[in-house]
Amino acid sequence: MSESKELTLDEVRARMRAVGVTIAENRLAMVRKLLSDALVHVRALDSRASKTVEPAVRFGAGGGDQP
Amino acid sequence: MSDEIAYATIRELGTRYRSRQLSPVEVTQALLARIEKHDPVLSAFVTLTADRARADARAAEEALRGGDARPLLGIPVAHKDIYLTRGIRTTGGSALLADWVPDDDAACVRRWQDAGTVLLGKLITHEFALGLQFPGHRFKPARNPWNLDHIPGGSSSGSGAALAAGLVTGATGSDTGGSIRGPAAFCGIVGLKPTYGRASRAGVLTLSWTLDHTGPMARTVEDCAYLLQAMAGHDAADPASSRAPVDDYVAALGRDVRGLRIGVPRNYFFEGVDPEVERAFEAALGTLRGLGAEVRDVQIPSLAATHSFLLIMLAEAFAYHERDLREHPELYGDVLRERLLAGALVTASEYTQAQRIRAGICAETAAVLRDVDVLATPTTPKPATPFALATDPEFGFPRSNMPPFNITGMPALALPCGFSSSGLPLSLQLAGRPFEEATVLRVGHAYEQATPWHTRRPRV
Repeated sequence: MSESKELTLDEVRARMRAVGVTIAENRLAMVRKLLSDALVHVRALDSRASKTVEPAVRFGAGGGDQP
Repeated sequence: MSDEIAYATIRELGTRYRSRQLSPVEVTQALLARIEKHDPVLSAFVTLTADRARADARAAEEALRGGDARPLLGIPVAHKDIYLTRGIRTTGGSALLADWVPDDDAACVRRWQDAGTVLLGKLITHEFALGLQFPGHRFKPARNPWNLDHIPGGSSSGSGAALAAGLVTGATGSDTGGSIRGPAAFCGIVGLKPTYGRASRAGVLTLSWTLDHTGPMARTVEDCAYLLQAMAGHDAADPASSRAPVDDYVAALGRDVRGLRIGVPRNYFFEGVDPEVERAFEAALGTLRGLGAEVRDVQIPSLAATHSFLLIMLAEAFAYHERDLREHPELYGDVLRERLLAGALVTASEYTQAQRIRAGICAETAAVLRDVDVLATPTTPKPATPFALATDPEFGFPRSNMPPFNITGMPALALPCGFSSSGLPLSLQLAGRPFEEATVLRVGHAYEQATPWHTRRPRV
């Protein structure tokens, strides 16, 4: 896994091979940008340093800690 | 038919039905004629159900003669074409399902039908609620009645266009990242994304299981309240459906907003906002202050990470579409197919971290809502996008003010708050605590009654 915060085109191609999907070469830059923008905060997250937050989302009517 | 009838509210139609000044059959015939006249330009409808509408209207007329007082009796509606309809094709705005006729209704379709509505037809949606129809697509995209060169927003594009043009009185929408509120904002109408679990998603095509919401769209806040009343409530067929009690949304509108605390999150929602949008929003805050609400600034720093919601949406969307994408890729629009395939490239770790970020946003937003009753923001940073820009394959996913409330599942209402200098509608977004739709609607109604924006009509 790359340490860079930016997803590279090579990384996009490697992921495509791994999951067995094809995206036209002339559209890879658009897909890379789409994923890179969405990944900015995930890649900035140091999961070891941040406090434990479970990925579950609850929607309680009682108005608890989580909406 | 006069514009007065085409744009009548649910309460006005009901009053005139019960006083025998107007009948559901007359209104239905008139709207069908209006659709025939305007829809060739607007492309809001993908399927018109004229015979069904006339039959529904006759049944409503018979019920009215028997003294039936249900508020939605004889009210003409249409459904976004990702809501399944028994015996009526449901395309999802897609070539893949272009001729599919389901054998069951979505739960919300059934509930509105049981409330006595008249079904006019199915309204075009962005392809599978995600991809605008580009030139050459099997279906044409809807156009914005305020300016045909601009999109009506999406993905509930037909719902927004049909309501703004006075072709229907109420419509369903769905909202995964703003698909009810965006078309409401761009078309100058009202749209409510209820709390996650408030309205059933059973029988509605999936985009993203943990972000999808169903909800009503209309031209006034009161109409949204009536329509939500008939949609809300537990449904065992939707695993996310809540058993939380359903409030009386229409009754709540009668209360004023004096003393209510309105928080304005000054981070995130104002980045890249058009000056005209900002001026209209600040004027709306002034109106709410004048009505007695207490307006204060708040901060929700974690919202800076909102865009990571795309990882969740795209990964879940790919999971839903994977088989069809692999077997029939040619039946997806090019740009939509790329977006869905991008979802295949999200790793399990990234998806999990995005959900953890989401949980953090939920917790921080809930904490802010201990000190204020409602949050207010501009619904969109800019007015409706021109088609020329939206159909550029490089357009991508612009930053949006709406996904924060898909992430948190909180109820969020979009309603008109002005117009740009070019005549395009501007919109105010109000969000509240989970299952407090009544409060959100109450604030929206008070604002609406104090302003003229909801009375303006596009020249169709």
